Amino acid sequence: MSTTTTDPTNTLRTGGTSYVSAAAPAPTAARIGTSNRTFQIVSAIVLIVFAIIWLIPSLFALKTSLTSNGTAAIGAASILKDWNPTLHSYASFFQAGDIWNWYIASGITSVVTALLTVLFGSMAAFALSRLRFRGRNATYLLIILGIMIPTQVLIVPIFQELNAVSLLNTYWSVIFPQVPAVIAVFIFKQFFDGIPVDLEEAARIDGASRWRVYWNVIMPLSRPVLAAVTILTFVGVWNNLLLPLFVLSNPNLMTIPVGLATVQSSFGQRYADIQSGAILAALPLVILYLIFQRQIVEGVTGSGLKG
Amino acid sequence: MTTAAPPVITRAQPRRARPVSSRSPLRRGDTGPAWLFLGPFGVFYLAFLIGPTIFMIVASFFNTSLVHTGLGSFAGVANYAEMLTRSDFWSSLWHTLQFTIYTTPPLVILAFVFAVLTNRVHRGQWFFRLAFFLPYVLPSATISLIWVFVFTPSTGLWALVESWFGITPGNGVLAGPNTAMIGIAIATVWWTLGFNFVLYLAGLQEIPRELYEAAAVDGASNWAQIRYITLPLLTRTTTLVILLQIIASLKIFDQVYLMTSGGPGISTQVSLQLITGTAFTDDRVGAASAASVLLFIVIVAVAVVRQLLDRSAARREA
Amino acid sequence: MATRTGLTRRGFLTAGLAGLTLPVLAACSSPVGAGLAGSQLNPKTLVFWNLFGGGDGSRMQAMEAGYRKTNGGASSLQATTFAWGNPYYSKVTLATVGHKPPDVAISHLTRAKPLWDGGILDPITDDDLASVGLQASDFNSAPWKAQRTDGHNIAIPLDTHPIVMFYNVAVLTKAGLIGANGQIVDLDSMDRFESALAEISKVTKGPAITSANVAGETATPWRVFWTLYNQHSAATPFLSDNGAKLTVDWDIWNDVTSRLQRWVKQGWLNSGLDYATAQSYMFTGKAGMYLEGEWELTTGQLVKGLDFDMAPIPTLYDRAAYQADSHTFVLPKKDRTPEQRTQAMGFIKSMLEQSMTWAEGGHIPAYLPIAESAAYAKLVPQAHYASTAQHAVYDDPAWYGGSGSTFEGIVGAQLGLVQQGVSTPQQARASVEDQLKIYLDTPSPL
Repeated sequence: MSTTTTDPTNTLRTGGTSYVSAAAPAPTAARIGTSNRTFQIVSAIVLIVFAIIWLIPSLFALKTSLTSNGTAAIGAASILKDWNPTLHSYASFFQAGDIWNWYIASGITSVVTALLTVLFGSMAAFALSRLRFRGRNATYLLIILGIMIPTQVLIVPIFQELNAVSLLNTYWSVIFPQVPAVIAVFIFKQFFDGIPVDLEEAARIDGASRWRVYWNVIMPLSRPVLAAVTILTFVGVWNNLLLPLFVLSNPNLMTIPVGLATVQSSFGQRYADIQSGAILAALPLVILYLIFQRQIVEGVTGSGLKG
Repeated sequence: MTTAAPPVITRAQPRRARPVSSRSPLRRGDTGPAWLFLGPFGVFYLAFLIGPTIFMIVASFFNTSLVHTGLGSFAGVANYAEMLTRSDFWSSLWHTLQFTIYTTPPLVILAFVFAVLTNRVHRGQWFFRLAFFLPYVLPSATISLIWVFVFTPSTGLWALVESWFGITPGNGVLAGPNTAMIGIAIATVWWTLGFNFVLYLAGLQEIPRELYEAAAVDGASNWAQIRYITLPLLTRTTTLVILLQIIASLKIFDQVYLMTSGGPGISTQVSLQLITGTAFTDDRVGAASAASVLLFIVIVAVAVVRQLLDRSAARREA
Repeated sequence: MATRTGLTRRGFLTAGLAGLTLPVLAACSSPVGAGLAGSQLNPKTLVFWNLFGGGDGSRMQAMEAGYRKTNGGASSLQATTFAWGNPYYSKVTLATVGHKPPDVAISHLTRAKPLWDGGILDPITDDDLASVGLQASDFNSAPWKAQRTDGHNIAIPLDTHPIVMFYNVAVLTKAGLIGANGQIVDLDSMDRFESALAEISKVTKGPAITSANVAGETATPWRVFWTLYNQHSAATPFLSDNGAKLTVDWDIWNDVTSRLQRWVKQGWLNSGLDYATAQSYMFTGKAGMYLEGEWELTTGQLVKGLDFDMAPIPTLYDRAAYQADSHTFVLPKKDRTPEQRTQAMGFIKSMLEQSMTWAEGGHIPAYLPIAESAAYAKLVPQAHYASTAQHAVYDDPAWYGGSGSTFEGIVGAQLGLVQQGVSTPQQARASVEDQLKIYLDTPSPL
């Protein structure tokens, strides 16, 4: 779905939405034991075929990145036939040295944005889901409309605002405009709406303040959605191109996508360099995914109600 | 805390559930605290989304230029009139819809199928999750580079596969005015399917196995189980996935910009490309703002129509 | 809470604190500190923005290092590369409007004009030039004349980068088109050129010449067209009055485009190839010749075992003409002290003096002390096409024109379709007229 990676204000790729389905956590049925053998085999074959299809483009990019630029310039066939893998393209990135700064910039902006988005977004969603106040529906509608705004043109006034408060050329200029991820509020509200109110009754009897209901009751029940929104925001900010390009001018502060563009030429085609850059850009995300893949999937269904 | 077994049922018939908040225990004197909770998000929301959007709406009535501060001279509705009479505005809108039509069904259906099947195989679930989800974390620049490479005319991977099936590789998918959008759609499905896949997987794992076991005891086939248990229980997930999918597809930009720049000719030029081109290449922020507002109206309209259809469908079912 | 799936709240908190404190801890050390707290640049540091990636990028970095060495070390220059084409110009524009421009920036010559019209550039006076010992006669006259606007110097050209003809020596040898000097024989007439194409096609059993025209490639079809169009002595400007009038000679348009279609029908020219494949055809001997800017020299040199050379595109019509643009240095508008002006000019002079390094990437130096030097004359294959700079034809000035502009996009896309055989020259003309109409009718926003 996601078409919005260069979208300066809406960092979350849409689709992170149906947490609704996880709204009422239930005992996990890890696998279904009732399907017959033939079905199993057919399923497995279909899946394997598609999984391979899904992996081929990435593997091809990896292969290209391990080829020399000269060989890659000749075309796909020569890339596949080449059996002299070289780390030359990767080495050139690390020799230039800037890549560490890019990683730091991308890491800091992505982490901080994700945290602020999750905290502020869940607070807002809590108010919209649990608190009654005048203008609630109007507020929610206003926030939801935000998902539908085409945000490209907004970069002009955003640039001027950041300039006015002297935040250009700081990480904050990348972080702040991406904090109001409307979709995060939407996801959180859908999730909170599904949490039974009974749980709060108990807390209320204990005389808990609204903050404590939010922090001690709702948040612990929301781990799966917190994990998902954190990771999605992280990915969105990490991959954003247009906003950092406009607001950062100091070469030491560049984020990965902006930095990588500097090693690609608008003219000369260095495919190995380009693909290795693409892989280096994605690598931390892939590693994060591999570490958290259980959490991402199981976290979505993870139950806070057990015990 | 006690185990809450029943909510699954509630979720299965979501429309009948009362809005949770109406029986929220925190009811009296909420207004002040509510704004405190909304405050931090609200500040950023106003500063970086609503404020700029108001600027955009105002600018759409002016000859605002990128190279001058201020709004420029008043244009009345000239920017809107221009956009509405431009044939490339309409064609870009059509291409945007075309892309939405091409990508939404596979992104929903394939994700559903892959998730259902993955959920039913006993081994290697991690592998399928990896294979299908991995592309989702890649930057748009990466996926575009990969797919332009795959679609390389006559020598690319795609052409190779075509020749296996006895098709003579032509000029390449991205080169044909009629096929270029399909190429972009394929790349997009490959890229973003993973997220829907994971969502469905999560939804599936919540369906209690007792339901399937009971069905199996009654002699229901795998297909019947999917048809009569899985599908209905995931209805609400599907509804939301589709809605957000449509909205996101209408805002397509990256892949087109990076893969075809709107070509061949303007056969794949989409709305946001027209908008960014007008704003940043032509420096005409005012005209671009008008186009943005028009696109916004279209997206809202599509979302509203979609909701209405959904609601009437739900009413018919009830 | 029994199971710990997902992020625990404590984990989330810890991560949060770590996320917030880590930067603070690291803030003492730059660049993280600069990223969080903003950085006050040493006022003596010269800020330079450019759009060079890839091989050009490394050569520019070498030249920047050269400047630093003689001008007070690392802190004397902060050079930033933004290699994303059009957004680069938007960034320069926004930064200048927001009073945060760089001291010196790179701009394509054809894009410097819209920047000038928008009031984004400071003019460069004769005094400025004289302050670092430069004068108009130090530059190749074609780019120098092209940059003169409203009686001012708006940009100092670093190079000229024309479209040229690459050729595979092995293929052309087989086709009998390599002369005694080891270079391609004279093909300066339509008949000679077309019979050469036929010969090459016999050797390759495929296209004789390639030129990229699909997968977003609109610039190359434009470069080829504009070259052949301007080889006609009757050629008129495509656009006049800064883009308010469409003055292209449609007869010549038809002549050139139907000629290209004829070549495709004969099988001499590819109908649809993307940028990379078009050049790999020539690299691998599937085609004998390839039309593109001289910058692809670097890519060609990377291919092991490839014997290729470069030449000006033959004059098929009345006169020599080569579509080209120039990379130039511009001074974005800002308040400068006389010292800062001199410093900026000193930087430009230093870059010009190092343009031999630049020339290795294929670009033809605009600075004559280098372009006319013995060292440059010895540089091969650069020497084989250096003459094209004299006959460089730039895109017509228009507020929506120049390299990578809307104009090039619109016209180039249609020319690409003509080459593919999807459109006739007449259909392409109609489409161009239709799409340009809005730009012709819109007053310049600059």
